[in-house]
Amino acid sequence: MRTHHMRLPVLAGALLILIAACSEPAPIFHESERPLRLSDWQLFDLSTEELTPSEASLVLHPSNQLFTDYAHKMRTLWIPQGLQAELVDEEIQYPVGTVISKTFYYPRNGQGQLVKVTDPGNEHIALGDHQLLETRLLVHRQNGWDAFPYVWNEEQTEAFLRVAGTSTSVSLQTENEDLDFMYFVPNENQCSGCHTTDHPDGEMKPLGIIASQLSSPISDARGDFGIQTSTILEKGWLNAQPADQGTISWRDESASLEDRALAYLNIHCAHCHNPEGAADTSGLFLDGSSDIDVSMGLCKPPVAAGGGAGDLQYSIVPSDPDHSILVYRMESSKPDEMMPELGRSLIHTEGVALIRQWISSMSGSC
Amino acid sequence: MKINTQRLIGISIFSLLLASCGSEEPAMPELSFEESLQEQLIKAQPGDVINIPAGTHQMTRSLSLNVPGVTIRGEGMDTSILSFKNQIQGAEGLLVSADDFVIEDLAIEDTVGDALKINESTNVVIRRVRTEWTAGPLTTNGAYGIYPVQTENVLIDGSVAIGASDAGIYVGQSTQIVVRNSRAEYNVAGIEIENSTFADVHDNIATNNTGGILVFDLPNLPVQGGRNTRVFDNEIFNNNTENFAPEGNIVGSVPAGTGLMVLANDSIEVFGNNFADNQTAHALVVSYLINEIPYDDPNYDPFPESIYIHDNQFSNGGQNPDSEPLNMLKEATGQAIPDIVWDGMVVPGKQPEEILCIANNGGASFVNLDAANGFAEPSFDSSVHQCSLPSLSVISLSSASQ
Repeated sequence: MRTHHMRLPVLAGALLILIAACSEPAPIFHESERPLRLSDWQLFDLSTEELTPSEASLVLHPSNQLFTDYAHKMRTLWIPQGLQAELVDEEIQYPVGTVISKTFYYPRNGQGQLVKVTDPGNEHIALGDHQLLETRLLVHRQNGWDAFPYVWNEEQTEAFLRVAGTSTSVSLQTENEDLDFMYFVPNENQCSGCHTTDHPDGEMKPLGIIASQLSSPISDARGDFGIQTSTILEKGWLNAQPADQGTISWRDESASLEDRALAYLNIHCAHCHNPEGAADTSGLFLDGSSDIDVSMGLCKPPVAAGGGAGDLQYSIVPSDPDHSILVYRMESSKPDEMMPELGRSLIHTEGVALIRQWISSMSGSC
Repeated sequence: MKINTQRLIGISIFSLLLASCGSEEPAMPELSFEESLQEQLIKAQPGDVINIPAGTHQMTRSLSLNVPGVTIRGEGMDTSILSFKNQIQGAEGLLVSADDFVIEDLAIEDTVGDALKINESTNVVIRRVRTEWTAGPLTTNGAYGIYPVQTENVLIDGSVAIGASDAGIYVGQSTQIVVRNSRAEYNVAGIEIENSTFADVHDNIATNNTGGILVFDLPNLPVQGGRNTRVFDNEIFNNNTENFAPEGNIVGSVPAGTGLMVLANDSIEVFGNNFADNQTAHALVVSYLINEIPYDDPNYDPFPESIYIHDNQFSNGGQNPDSEPLNMLKEATGQAIPDIVWDGMVVPGKQPEEILCIANNGGASFVNLDAANGFAEPSFDSSVHQCSLPSLSVISLSSASQ
């Protein structure tokens, strides 16, 4: 009897500890291995109802993001306790141990059909009316950033590392029609294909969770999220607020057409089309660093575009989007013609409309 | 007994809790051949050899390699085949960005875009590799077959390129290049050396292309100033396939029936080649201005200089030129287009003999098109070009590339 009584409180204590460990795991930084399961990083709390970022993380909303077949994206940032990012030359230098995640998902309607709606910037994902596709991690390790694509299983109970990426067919309901397409999860090389902006010797780096995309007040169709670097600063993860006002959102209709077009081209093209990038072989630079001249495509003949040139003569013909290769390649969904080469199967109608409007507004001819 | 029961209950509650924490194991996904191959390429370590077994392997997405020092090895260019007939993603078949790379004894077929692209790499060996679009020359074929760009020390040896809608073997913006013992057939351009320096192109066969061998320099590129290329001991014959390049591309302006075209390059030595049955012209030397495409590039030199064509054999060419001015010339003279054609445009301040020297071509005929004056007074007199230039040096790649 005596023993019996002694044991119950011990057992209860053990239970409590275990329950605590289950409900509030802290993220873990893996220094070298490639964990096979997303749960090994403990970045999320996954219940049957919801995927919720760890309380230790921040959910962030950059000004601009790459179009990925209308998938919604939830981004988190986690920096290990006691560490802090530093602002160096107006860029955020994250400490070793930083883990950035980006979860791609679609909302479902009442019938379970995936639907195209504007990403509202959710900070947790209800599993009842959303379908998780993948979670990509960028992890800052001793030798630089590493990328890991994790793909969710159908049951939405775990995401597995898919070094070689994968593809899955998606049917997306829009106002007018159902879009049936192949959704691609990039392989690790494709991750670095975009995230290595200084090709080939540079290192991978984040493209969204950077100073220029986080230090401008966001207020557009997605909602009002405030200045994201302030949020990081308040969390104690950043030593100073960037002095430069960041990039505007291309969706911000109060900004000028040209600024919006440049913001759009920057986020969709500049990771390759910059003077050090993988597409520097083309001599077409869309990072906004130069004037709007031949290097930005104005009356520029194609170099090695093949069919991607669409039988057209120049990248941009002022006032003539129909004869601009830039528009042709954005409106193509053929793998050898379309731009960007990665990240989409669908045509980004809203982005095309913006670039068409911008080119239409230019004066002159070739 | 009681105590034991208590323990058992305790243990089972523990296990339950552990299970709910994540040790319940959702099944790991299985990988296809394609996914395993891509995974091997990603996880490769320097020194690794990745074997492509015999057979035709269907690929749906681009493959890529970023790890230096890797060899990809098949069992033969007609045995180990990566077929991209069902490709649904990626602008190339295999994309390599890695130094000290060797690929040998395999084929890459029917990619939607380029077949084998090697971007910004040093020490590259492509040996006994075949790239092919198997339905013949079609505009919808991918642009380039074997495509190193911004590379250094690149050897292409014993390879085969068929059906590219731009160039079969295309080396762009590169330096220290050897292309040899290879065959280019049914491409728009058979072998093209573009915006590159120090290349040896020898002992190749270029046939049934629109243009056999092109040596080009183009404006508005990060690497330009193409020069120092030797084109020798090649068989360049019957390159009369109608131009099937998509419009807008520079090779789209190459007339069907071109043997060799040197455009805006300097210091090119052409010797020991056998030209036959190229029905526009065997050898054309032209400036970029001939295309009448305006360009905006103050650093670009559109004129060829120091082109030395000697000791070649020419037979039966220029019977059916696919070019407006050449056709007019043929009609005016009633003769076939001469073996060696120069557009006649001279760098300001230079003499014609500084542009082009011709020697020992067995009585080859010549024309200066006088393109600068609207082809007004073509001249067939080559006496001013009877000169010689110093031979260019042999390209010797570092031992790593041999």
